[in-house]
Amino acid sequence: MREAWITGIGLLTALGPDRETTWGRLLAGETGIRPLTLFDTTGYRTHLAAQVDDSALRLPTLPKRPNRHTSRASRFALLAASEALADARLPITSDARNWALVLGGGTAGLFEAEGFVARRLRGGPRVHGLGEVVEVPQDSPSDRVAQCFALTGPRITVTTACSSSTIAVGIAAELVRDREVPVALAGGSDALCRLTYAGFNSLRAVDPEPARPFDRRRKGLSLGEGAAVLVVEEAEHARQRGARPYARVLGHGVTNDAFHMTQPEPSGAAWERTVRAALADAGVAPSEVGYINGHGTATEQNDPAECAAYLRVFGERLASVPVSSVKGALGHCLCAAGGIEAAITALAIARGMLPPTVGFAQADPACPVDAVPKPGRKGTPRVALSSSFAFGGNSAVLVLGSRP
Amino acid sequence: MSAARVFVRSIGTVSAAGTGVPALVQALADPAWRPQLGIERPDAPSLPVAACRDFSPRDVLPPLVARRLDRPARILAVAAREALGPLGDPLPWARDRAGVCAGTWNAGTSALLEVLRAVFLATPEEAPPAQFPSTVANAPASQLGILEKLGGPNLTFAEKQVGGLRAIAEAGRLLLRRRADAMLACGVDEADWLNAEAYERLRTLRTSARPGMALAEGAAVLALAREPGPAPLAVLAGWGSASAPAPPWRYPEDPAPLVLASRQALERAGLEPAEVGLVMSIANGIPALAALELQALEALFGAHRPVAVAIAERLGEGAVSGALRALIAAHAVAGSPLPAWEAPAHLIGAGFPSATTAVRAALVPGLAGGGSAIALVLIAP
Repeated sequence: MREAWITGIGLLTALGPDRETTWGRLLAGETGIRPLTLFDTTGYRTHLAAQVDDSALRLPTLPKRPNRHTSRASRFALLAASEALADARLPITSDARNWALVLGGGTAGLFEAEGFVARRLRGGPRVHGLGEVVEVPQDSPSDRVAQCFALTGPRITVTTACSSSTIAVGIAAELVRDREVPVALAGGSDALCRLTYAGFNSLRAVDPEPARPFDRRRKGLSLGEGAAVLVVEEAEHARQRGARPYARVLGHGVTNDAFHMTQPEPSGAAWERTVRAALADAGVAPSEVGYINGHGTATEQNDPAECAAYLRVFGERLASVPVSSVKGALGHCLCAAGGIEAAITALAIARGMLPPTVGFAQADPACPVDAVPKPGRKGTPRVALSSSFAFGGNSAVLVLGSRP
Repeated sequence: MSAARVFVRSIGTVSAAGTGVPALVQALADPAWRPQLGIERPDAPSLPVAACRDFSPRDVLPPLVARRLDRPARILAVAAREALGPLGDPLPWARDRAGVCAGTWNAGTSALLEVLRAVFLATPEEAPPAQFPSTVANAPASQLGILEKLGGPNLTFAEKQVGGLRAIAEAGRLLLRRRADAMLACGVDEADWLNAEAYERLRTLRTSARPGMALAEGAAVLALAREPGPAPLAVLAGWGSASAPAPPWRYPEDPAPLVLASRQALERAGLEPAEVGLVMSIANGIPALAALELQALEALFGAHRPVAVAIAERLGEGAVSGALRALIAAHAVAGSPLPAWEAPAHLIGAGFPSATTAVRAALVPGLAGGGSAIALVLIAP
């Protein structure tokens, strides 16, 4: 049976422009949620977000210089991909490579296009601003990464809202295990924009304070942005070049609760199916799971439904399985969230450290989990889950295992 | 690459030709049929979109159900009901083992514009909360899953022109990996002025002065299953996927990904190129794409000349277009009489004949701006 290894990680978040800065500050219990400066927040319930610092967007030397119309979301993806390739010690060249690219596609160039839409809705001219709209298609960041790094294999963009990049990593691992490609770049990228900010504001789903996942005082999520790209590599391919993995992708599960567009099925029964499907795909027993990187949005409905699902799967043993959410530190990065969380989970496995749930301080009886208050703590899970839930009832769970 | 054997159990569609597969086939059989093109936009002339002008969910969805759905979800739900009808009630599978795989280019854009209208012309507080969930591209597939209580995988792929083909290929993969017993694989697009205006600015839309594409609205659904059932229409026997680097709005200059994807699909199906009897052409009115396709088909087929059929010039281009081409391929290999469609001009000149006879194997290639290529192979059951 072929294995899919994670041999490189690139991260760009509100906590830092790279993997190590993000990881170090996350373990220290810092948060990247702060006043949003990307656009005017007058009239919104909150003025906070986990915004990526623009100084992080200086692109390194890339094989192909990006077009000047490259959106923030595409720049995030390019930076994360570049870091991931370098981390995996794979050459960053413009030579064509038959590798897959599987990304979760989010708002893509919508932030840039909003300027165009605003002008048009106000009766302004349509003859300006072509560059603002060329990245409206959600697969634009995928196209930019593939163009820059000359990838010629399957190029897949999953758009299932907040579970997009979790599924992307799962599909990438499957392509590798099925011998379709030796290497796949997988993850996601998403950028803040007025649409999502206004949308979650209208749903009353945002907390005016930084998000507090699993905490009884929680009042909603904090939006975030960023990107993660993981190098998912066939084990023998990695061994032959002496690469060491952070973790193995053992399997994944994906189901739908068929319940409601924005609310999870509250009993946790549907999410339980996803966890069990993932464990079955991985050939892993619940008793082997030592850590869960939860979805943990800090909304009133999500956290109890998620914990109920874990309780159904793990029973009393759940008390000894740490469950943390990074969304109090990194915000909810929507279509990039699952990729970022898969990367954090792989780092946790490789380094024997569990990231804290930043913002968590007061336990909620409705969320009966060990939520890992800050700072992070030591832990050596041999098997860990990374769990995501999305608008439309789409849930996805990745099962990662320690290196052999 | 594992051998694929996934069955197309039934099909359904809503398109500019009307609601249902019979309406589509009847319209395409008339060489003179052309949909009325057009979509309104602020302070500017209409743009060429083949919209589902007379679409109404009234005969299929109860009013209270239809009202909960946005337009692309209604269109998809009606197409899906046509595909689900022949499968019986209850379905032959547990609903937790049946899912949805959708591909879309632009689903959610109209809802997105409604939310932004409030943000920019009123205040953020006036953004309509009921519209926001419809701005996500996976809304039509998710709403279909909720409507039909389908608890299996529910995935959406956004890959411009090849989104529908990707959805079908990934549904096949999900079935082969036994992640589901049945999948509604589909393409769905809506008519919206933002996408159309972007492509007008890129000078790829058809005008009276230049050739180009029209955009599509509609949905095409293929009900796929691992088991053949009593009367399968076709077998999804293979798929392939490759790409060439290109900016998001441009086709690549090299036909290689189209050739490679087609070869992979044929190899997975266990077929030689000479066994292909029908090619569902990717022609959409853009001359550069036609030239790429001709190079690819000549490289793939050598001297062999299967029947070639194009529909996107009439029904419009989009993620739904690829799914529509797959739907017609399934219809054709099922033994249904082929209407007298003409091959596209660039292929007629190269000796590809128009459709006249029944076929047993069909190739459905696709190529998106940005350079992603997918090909499907459908064969008679």
